[in-house]
Order: sequence, then structure tokens, then C-alpha cells
Amino acid sequence: MPWKKLPSCILLLLALAYPVQSKLSSQKDSFQEDLLISPLKDGKLLAHFQFTTLVDAGGLDEKDGRYAHYGLFPKSIGQIIDHHRVQELHLTFTQGRWQYEDWGYPVAQSAGTGVELWAWMKLDDSIESNWRSLTNTLSGLFCASLNFIDGTLTSQPELSFRPEGAKNSYNHDERMREGAEVRYGILPHENVCTENLTPWIKLLPCKSKAGIATLLNAHKLYDTNYHSMAIHIRPVCQDANCTSQSLELVQTVTSVLDPVRESGRRDWSFSSLFGREIQSACPVSDRSAVTVLLPSEQHEYQLTPSYDTIIERTAAQVERPIAVYNLSQHTEPLNLQMTWNEGEFSYPLQTSKPRVYAHKYMTGYGHERGGVTVNIFNNMNESQDISYFDSVPWFLKLYLHTLEVSVLGKDHIDQNDIVQDLYYQPAVDRSRPQVLEMKLRLPPDSVTAVSIEFDKVFLKYTEHRPDANRGFDVGPAVITTLLPAGDDNLASTVLELVTNRDTPTRQNIKVYTEILLASLPTPDFSMPYNVITLTCTVIALFFGSIFNLLIRGFSVTEDEVDEKKHENKDEISNSS
Amino acid sequence: MMTRKAILIPPLAFILRIVLFNIPTIADTLATRVEVVTPITSFKRLTEGLYLYENSVPPYDNGIFHQAPFLLVLFSALTSLSPLAIPIVYAGVDTFIGYALVVITQMKQKNYANAPKLEVEKEMAPIDPWTVAALYLFNPLTILSCVSKSTLIFTNLSVVLSVALALKGDAIYSMFWVAIASYLSFYPAMLMPALVLIISKWTPSNNSTLVKQARASTFYFVAWLALFLISSRILVGSWDYLYSTYGTILCLTDLTPNVGMFWYFFIEMFDQFRNFFLVVFQLHAFIFVAPLCIKIREHPVFVIIVLSGMMSILKSYPSVGDAALFLGLLPVHDELFKYARYGFLVTNLYLYSAALAPIFWHLWIYAGSGNANFFYAITLVYNLGQVLLLIDLVYAVLRRSYDIANPHTIGKEVVHK
Repeated sequence: MPWKKLPSCILLLLALAYPVQSKLSSQKDSFQEDLLISPLKDGKLLAHFQFTTLVDAGGLDEKDGRYAHYGLFPKSIGQIIDHHRVQELHLTFTQGRWQYEDWGYPVAQSAGTGVELWAWMKLDDSIESNWRSLTNTLSGLFCASLNFIDGTLTSQPELSFRPEGAKNSYNHDERMREGAEVRYGILPHENVCTENLTPWIKLLPCKSKAGIATLLNAHKLYDTNYHSMAIHIRPVCQDANCTSQSLELVQTVTSVLDPVRESGRRDWSFSSLFGREIQSACPVSDRSAVTVLLPSEQHEYQLTPSYDTIIERTAAQVERPIAVYNLSQHTEPLNLQMTWNEGEFSYPLQTSKPRVYAHKYMTGYGHERGGVTVNIFNNMNESQDISYFDSVPWFLKLYLHTLEVSVLGKDHIDQNDIVQDLYYQPAVDRSRPQVLEMKLRLPPDSVTAVSIEFDKVFLKYTEHRPDANRGFDVGPAVITTLLPAGDDNLASTVLELVTNRDTPTRQNIKVYTEILLASLPTPDFSMPYNVITLTCTVIALFFGSIFNLLIRGFSVTEDEVDEKKHENKDEISNSS
Repeated sequence: MMTRKAILIPPLAFILRIVLFNIPTIADTLATRVEVVTPITSFKRLTEGLYLYENSVPPYDNGIFHQAPFLLVLFSALTSLSPLAIPIVYAGVDTFIGYALVVITQMKQKNYANAPKLEVEKEMAPIDPWTVAALYLFNPLTILSCVSKSTLIFTNLSVVLSVALALKGDAIYSMFWVAIASYLSFYPAMLMPALVLIISKWTPSNNSTLVKQARASTFYFVAWLALFLISSRILVGSWDYLYSTYGTILCLTDLTPNVGMFWYFFIEMFDQFRNFFLVVFQLHAFIFVAPLCIKIREHPVFVIIVLSGMMSILKSYPSVGDAALFLGLLPVHDELFKYARYGFLVTNLYLYSAALAPIFWHLWIYAGSGNANFFYAITLVYNLGQVLLLIDLVYAVLRRSYDIANPHTIGKEVVHK
């Protein structure tokens, strides 16, 4: 009787299932979702989505050191970093420019316009091919032109882009750097749109079906002043001594929305911003929270529904209260709404400037040569150490001997007092970019100008883009500095406060400058055949004429020869 | 014998150059003009190479500096002396080239004293050697090239020295200087066979045959060149410089415009045919070395002149400095001028391109109202002028030889056959 065997069958199945179950449960995947909303001083609204997936690095397969089992961690990412031996990876898609002077520092650090990819790759014989393969794979995964990050755009920063993982400390990265090398590439021209967001959403455990990610409405998200989408993968420590490590995948979307543009008022709600509401938390999330950074004056606004918890001035550096909505406690759909007690929003005339920021611009005119100047502002009363990084494509030939570092208005300060360290890699035509890195000590309350001259290269006609007269985009300069936590980088401390992590007193800040457009001299693209014909004509004239002169001799003209012939004929006729 | 010219010309030329060096707008503008400086002779690029070298960055691992290691050492020493050292060296070298031309002309005239002549030439005195020097030293192209601080001047110096020493029959040092010239800018290597002809034809101790002389000279040339290359390797610490200097010349990696025909051709060339045409073009520069040495072996100095003309047309990065050397050597064979047929046309083509090249460059690069074709057209006209001049010269030398050999045909119409 088959039914008699049923209990034993079930037992057998259970017995088989047990080890699998235990193996899966031993892997401590965790997933957290956060939305941070902060009104900015110029009436804009910052919405920062952050999704953190943690996987125990102990889940590594002992045999080949690869992740064999995937729970919440996306398998496509896991396989990519395994296969290419990536230790740390940062990929950011950005559209628009972060306005440091109006908005302070961004929550997500990578903010250069375009697509930026940097990774610490494990040192290996095949590191170059791994990097090439990585850019191509990510290109396919995110539907972006990352495959154009080839040797001509890849650089190896020596001072900037230190590892962010493991010890989480900028100064103690020696351990991370052992056996790994950094690769950096940026495509400033790349446009970011829905086709990049869709694969990015697919990496989330709940996709955009539940949780905070339901608000990621592409129609609304790209109708903004600034938009940045990123994935950051890094190893993090589970405890203070770092005996065991986890792999952290942080996915972020940062948008700067403009409610004032539509109504003249700063009021906003989820439905007005995103056209959607949050139905529920993502069921697999450990934490699902919406955080609103409130204005310091309480009578200015109303927030509905009211918050679950509020953190008020807990840390010395946070001056503003933080409202927290814990989504797992909400059964109703959440449509957060903020109304300001004011009529039309009047734009502030002055914004508080961040402590260190920079601007980059081109100098000179014409298609032959030019210069780049970066003005670095230090608004603090003390001198500040920064790392300056700039990777300039080979088609602008920098002249290092024209590099000048000066403090505007303070000519007595010597260049050598500011430049502590300098690292320079010259470009090689069609194979690698120039990399200029410096350690600078900015004097207090100063504007430091870094300027350098370049020649523009005359490219082959096939090397120009289809829109050749638009010019070529040149990536941003990046300034990395360690700043004490403060009001201008409030946003990044908030999430750490909310998640009860230790808030570091000093923070590693990256400031990206503008990207530039360099117009290069163009040939006439309709001319190939004409040029080949005309030049070859001159060469042929040269060759033909000289050849002719050299192989032929001179002789007297036909007439005399004819006369002789006539004479001969006469003789013949006479004789006959 | 010091004539009045001899006392006047060199100091005047020297002072003129020093004065121009001290007018910064002229000197700075010239230093960046594409007609005068090329990627392989630019002083600005040399400064960058020097800066990298002195800051212990490998100077040849980049796309900027493509000049020979000896120049690094020379300018490293010069810049440490005094800021005046460089203008003085440039002006001095150029004046010395003028003097070397005097020597070449004197030697040539001495050697040709007993050579067969045309009837009309017997009453005419040959050109004053100092006129040759003056024509070189006060040629605007020479002055422009010198004041631009183009390092081509050292190649030109080496070429005229090798010719002068060859005329004196000094095989070792003639080969030394031609090896230096080849080492600095590659193409002068083609002058070597013609120099051998000069040495073997007019050597005072005429006991060696041409073959013996050729064998010995080739040995000297190769030995000197090997010495230079190896000592350069020791100076800069790697062989990278070979590709960075000669590789750039041969493969044309830098397509910055110049007065030659390569740049626009290879900007516009289809990728599939790029290598083929590179080989074809580079071959054209060298292709007439053997035929000229055979056909015009009676006039080896003339072969040198024609070859330097070919270099100024067909080298990959020519500048007006190359034309200056060619035009400077030209009056050495002044007896050919009466056979020149295109003198007026060629003069006009030179003037036309000299006037329009800066204008069209400005229209393309700065004003934006012209395009690349404008400047290209001018380089084409310039090269057409040079080609016509070369053709005319070769015609003149052959025709004169014919007339000397066949005096009875004078007055009758003569054609090619």
C-alpha cells in the first residue's frame, strides 16, 4: 500500500531537507531599507533611498572561496565580484551636478556627473583582464556604456579612492591595500535613465513590489534637479576586532526634487513627489524606516501622519531633530506629507557655504591649446589637508612644468608650502590618461588655484565622436579630505545615528568638481577621398618627374632627326 | 682672406637673432607656431621632457616628449648655466651653420675649378662664398626657425658639418656628424651614401677605391650610431626612448599639423589602409637615394642638396627649418640657376604659402570661419612649390651635364628621350 509508506517518505524528505535548511539559516543575510528626506536650504528636497544587504563572509565556500549560496544578496552581483576577484566596488550613475554651495555635502559620496566606477581588485596576474571584463560585465548588467572605460580612461589613483571597507577608517587602510590595487574610470558623457534603474531595482529582494522601493517611480525620479544611483560593495567588520567580516552591498538612489517649481510652496507628500505611497515594509527587511530631517523651528511646518520616534539633538553635531517612521509598525499605507506655514517660498539670498569645495574651469581660447584651473575653497579658520585627484584624457596633453599652485590674493605663500606631495603619470597617446594627484595643505580662509596648461591633440577622423563639434567631456577633479562632522554634512551622519552606529567625529568627504567640455580641432569629415587624391597627386608629381628625369636622357629634337631620315631616304631613292 | 662681407655678415646675423630672442612676443609666438616647430622639435615639449627627467619621472614614457636623449643632457646643462645661454647657443649655432656653408662653397669651388665647364661660365666668377652664408643667415625661414628654439637646428648643424668634413676628406668625423644628425632626426641617414661619394671623389690621398671607402665609412657610421644609441640607453636607463623618438617619426602617432603632407593625409586616412600608406610615404623619402647617387655621381654635393630637399618635403614632421637648410645649400651650386625654368613660379608659391598659412591657420583654429581644408590647401601649395623646385634642379643638373658633354647641341632644341 503506497499510503503506508507516506510517513517514512516524509521523514526521509525531512531528513534530506534538514542539512540544506541548516546551511541556509546559518547564512545570516540581512536587509535594511531606509529613506531619508531632508528639506534643503534653497527650497529643494533631498530624497535619499538606501538599501543595505549584508551577507556573512563566513558563507564563503571553503573549497574555492566563492559564495555558493545566495539568499537576499543578489546572485548576479555576487558572481561578478567573485569571478573578477573584486574586493571593493563602487559604481555610480549620476545626472546633473550636486550644488555643494547650496546643498552642503551629499549623503552618497560619489557624485561626479556621468558614470563613475572604481574598484579595489585583488592583485593577480590577470588583474588587467579582470578589470576589462568587469567593466564589460557591468556594462551588460546595467545597460550602460561602461565598456568604454578602457585603458585610455582607466587610472590608478595613489592618494585618493582609498578602500572604504573593513576598518572603515581612512588612515588604517594598509591592511585593505595589501594584495589589492585600485582601478578608477569615469564616463562623464554617459546619460542615466530608466534602462539603468530597472536592472538596479532588480537587485533588491522585494524589487519595487513592496517596501520603500515602491516609491522609485522612474517618471518622477528623472524629473529632478539631480539624480544619482549607485551600488557600493565593500567588506565590513562584524565586531571591533574585525575577527569576522561581512560583505555589504549598499544600493542608493539620491534625488534632489524641487517642490517649489510646481506650486511656489515647499509642501510635499509622497504622492506629489513620487506619485505613489508606501504600502508596506519589505517583508524580508530587518529594518524599514523613513527618516525626515526636520527644520530646527517647530512652528514652521506640520508633518502628517506624526512620527513614531524622534531623535532630538542627541549628538553634538546634529542640531536638527530627526523624525523616524518605522514602516514595519504601520499597517496603513504611508503617504507622508509636510506642509509649511508660509505663503510663497522666498529663496534665501545667502546660503551657508560648505567648508571645503571646488570649482574647475577651462582657460584659453582657440582649438590649439588651453588650460585647466581648479579653485579650491577652504572656509575654515584652520589649514586643511586635502588630496587632489585629476585624471585627464590623453587628448589633452598636459605640461607638468606649467603646473602652478597659488593662493589667490596671498602671493607670498610659496608653492612648496601648499603642495606636500605630488604624483604624476604622463599620458601615452591612445593608451592611458594623465593622472595628477597632490596632497595639498590649504591655508585658512583661502582660495587655492591649481592651474596647468595643455595642448589639444589632433585626432584621426575615426577617433572623433559622431557629434564631433560638441567636443569631448573631461571628468571632474576629485578632492578628498577628512572633515570634522558638522552641519554641512549632516545628512550622512543622520543615517548612522538612526541605525545606532557609532558616528565618527571626523568624516571622509569627497568633493567632485564640474565636468568640462573640451572642443578639439576637427578635420573635414567629408574629405578622405579628396585628401587622398590631392596629396597623392603631389607625391606622384614628385616621384614621376624625378623618375622620368633620372631614367631618360636628352637628345636633339625631331627636326634634325627627320632631316637625317630624309637624307637617308633620298640616298635610297637615288640609289634605286 | 677676410673680406668686408666676412666681417659684417656673421655679427649682424648673430645680433639680429639675439634681438629677436629678446622680444618676448615674437619669441613666444614663434615657439608655438605649427609651421616652425613640430612635435619632434618643439622647445616647449623639450622643456617638459627636461622637467620630467629632472624630477625623476621617466621622460620617454609619455606622449609629449619625442626628442633624443642627448638633447636632454645638453639642455639640462644649458638651463643650469644662465637664462642667456640658450639664446646665445641658438644664435651661435645658426651663425656657425652659415660659416660651414662658406667652407662648403669654398671647397666645392676649389674641387670644381678644373671640372669641365660651359663656354659662358668661363668668364663668370663663381658665387662669393659669403653670399651663400648671407642667403642662409638672412633667409626669413632660417631666422624664424632659429628664434622658435626648434631643436632642428642641431640636425641642420650636423648635416652641414658632415658635408664640410666630407669635402675635407675626413671620413671619421664626417660620419660622426651624419650619425649625430641621423640620431637626432632619423632621416639624415639617407645622406650617408652621398657623403661617401664626396669623400672618395675628392679625397686628397686618392689611394682608396670607392668600395673600400664605402666599407670603411659604413663601419664608422654604424659604430658612431651604435655608440650614441648605447650611451643614450645608459643616460636614460631604458630602451623606451627608441620607440618614443624613432617610433613617433616612423609611425606618426602625433598628428599635429605642420607644413608637410603627412598630418592631414593620416588624419583622414581609413584605418584599414593607414599602415600601407605609412610604408608607401616613408619609402618615398628614401626611394631616390640610390638612383640619385648613381645618376648624378659626378656631383655628390648636389645629391646632398636634392636629398635635403626631399627630406623637407617627405619627412613625417617637416618644418620651415628643413626648407631653410635646403634653400641654404642651394646657392652652393649656383651654376645651375641659369637652367631653372620655374624660378618665378616657385618663388610665388613660397610667398603665397608664407602669406596665407598663418591666416588660414587662424581662420581654422581661432576664428572658426574656415576649416582644416584651408590650412591643408596651403601645405599642399607649399609642397608643390618645393617639388617643382626639386624637379627643376634635377633637370638643371642633367641638362647642364648634357650641354657640357655635347657642346654642338647648344642652340638646338633638346628633348627627353
